[in-house]
Amino acid sequence: MDLNAFLVQFIIGLYKGSFYWLLAVGLTLIFGVTRIINFAHAAFFVTGGYLMYTFYSYTGSFILSLVLSSIATGLLGALSEVILIRRVYRLEPIYQLLLTFGIALVVNELQKILWGKFPKYLSIPDYLKGYISTGGVNISYYSLTIIILGFLVFLSVYAIINMSLWGLRVRAVWRDRTMAQILRINPHAVYTSTFFLGTALAGLGGSLMIALHPVGPGLGDHLIIYAFIVVVITGLGNIVGAYITSLLIGVVSSLATWLLPEVDVLIVYSIAALVLLVRPEGLFGER
Amino acid sequence: MVIRDINLALIIALTALLLLVPLTGDRFYIYITSLFMIYSLFALSYNLLFGYAGLLSFGHAMFFAVGAYTTALFTLKVLRDPLAGLVVGVLSSIPVALVVGFLTLRHTRVYFAILTLAFGMLVYALLVKWRSVTGGTDGLIGIPKRGVVIDISSPTAYYLFILTFFTITTIGLYLFIKSRWGLLVRALGANEDRLPFTGRSPLFIRLYTFLVSGLTASLSGSLYAIFMGVVTPDIAYWTFSAEPLVMTLLGGASYYLGPVLGAFTFIILTTILARYAEYWLLLLGLAVIAIVIGFRGGLGGMLVSTFYTVRERSGVWIRWRYSRLKI
Repeated sequence: MDLNAFLVQFIIGLYKGSFYWLLAVGLTLIFGVTRIINFAHAAFFVTGGYLMYTFYSYTGSFILSLVLSSIATGLLGALSEVILIRRVYRLEPIYQLLLTFGIALVVNELQKILWGKFPKYLSIPDYLKGYISTGGVNISYYSLTIIILGFLVFLSVYAIINMSLWGLRVRAVWRDRTMAQILRINPHAVYTSTFFLGTALAGLGGSLMIALHPVGPGLGDHLIIYAFIVVVITGLGNIVGAYITSLLIGVVSSLATWLLPEVDVLIVYSIAALVLLVRPEGLFGER
Repeated sequence: MVIRDINLALIIALTALLLLVPLTGDRFYIYITSLFMIYSLFALSYNLLFGYAGLLSFGHAMFFAVGAYTTALFTLKVLRDPLAGLVVGVLSSIPVALVVGFLTLRHTRVYFAILTLAFGMLVYALLVKWRSVTGGTDGLIGIPKRGVVIDISSPTAYYLFILTFFTITTIGLYLFIKSRWGLLVRALGANEDRLPFTGRSPLFIRLYTFLVSGLTASLSGSLYAIFMGVVTPDIAYWTFSAEPLVMTLLGGASYYLGPVLGAFTFIILTTILARYAEYWLLLLGLAVIAIVIGFRGGLGGMLVSTFYTVRERSGVWIRWRYSRLKI
């Protein structure tokens, strides 16, 4: 086995995993707090990419558009919670899932109407175009940026949840909603802000992706499956576990594409099935 | 003989109506109605899980695709006959239902939904990747309608072929729901926590429901393969699993014939909308949102409540000689 090629695939896996993480973190947060599986989450990820495209064409600044598109996507997510999802918290989970499925369809189609049917693509800004070469292995600055950003997001989400006052409220609602209400925590405010944070991170992921991979219709349908697999393997509602699993799935799938291109997709599904067979509650889940 | 059961009476009336369609001789009507019957079976099989057992599956297309592909492969490689292909296609869902069911049915609710989604996509990935057998994204073409045993190459012949299976399966599933086995399924859907008090295993009940549902879904898939003459991996993609779900919701999940009504509406809507509106999926999404927020009873629920309102307002009380519509 070629060590250099292995390292390259490993790095590719890490940044692929960072994308899965940016998608899975919102899914995990939203599920943990509101008990809703948000089918529309990947649609917001794609929306982030499209918004990035639009903001970039107006402002011309990569970082500014990154911030703007994340915030705008987060606001859209929060809006979907306030207008629609809030109405179904008391219903059976089946109907909650269906509602978010309907939202996903609507968001996907609105994207096609607003941005057209063809995928959009941005080029990487000049200052991130270079490579680091060590021992014959080229690592592009951009993929390194994504890996580092993913890690920073992990650290900050972890810190916000565990150290801030808002995080305390989130954990309170996460554990016991009724008890939190007794302590004068407004669960609706917590829910809406969780949706904002979760979708904003998905938007960030989409915005970063558009410089690497064209963002277009159908991308969300594909990504949501990977995010669900991450969430299933982790066990729902564990932030640290979700980060580790995302990177793991990224690395495994990119190594599989390299070593066994015939069956690369199957390997990820087989791992998911195997984990569930051995540990139905997920690798990091608690019974 | 007087049939007191409203659902059986409706199925017989529907069959009588469907028998009239070939008399028009219009190929388009025959085509649309055949598609309607195939989708109805698919949606009925879906509602067995969704409406009666309370299991939300996002991988139901897996059975449809397995049935369709097995029929296609059998008729192309082993024996050129649609009827034999159909039988093999239906039987092929048994191992799939048992294996997937055993792995997924220990979980319920959200977990079950995600797991069936993953398994459905596994089947999709298999169909795309295993190019030498399944033809990859091109699929398989040339599934025969004229075979060694039967010949259904004329539109009327295959229409009647589909209608036969439609009527038999619709009645069969209804009798299943009404039977003691079906009663257990309904009990499970009504209260999962109290069902073990009957001394029966919820896992076993879920497993045979999954099996019956899978058999019916693969029957519709096999019929689809013979009807179209072509199969492509699109029918295994997860968005295709969402179609029977939308049909079921549209018609009303708590009525036995709700999915049939939903399939009818769905076919009409998609045929008309897809012709005139480019973005019909947007309307579909809006419909799903409206149903979840506004009318969870679906069209069936609306019809029934309209019936009661009319009866109350008009003051005409005709004695209801039939059983209840909802079971």
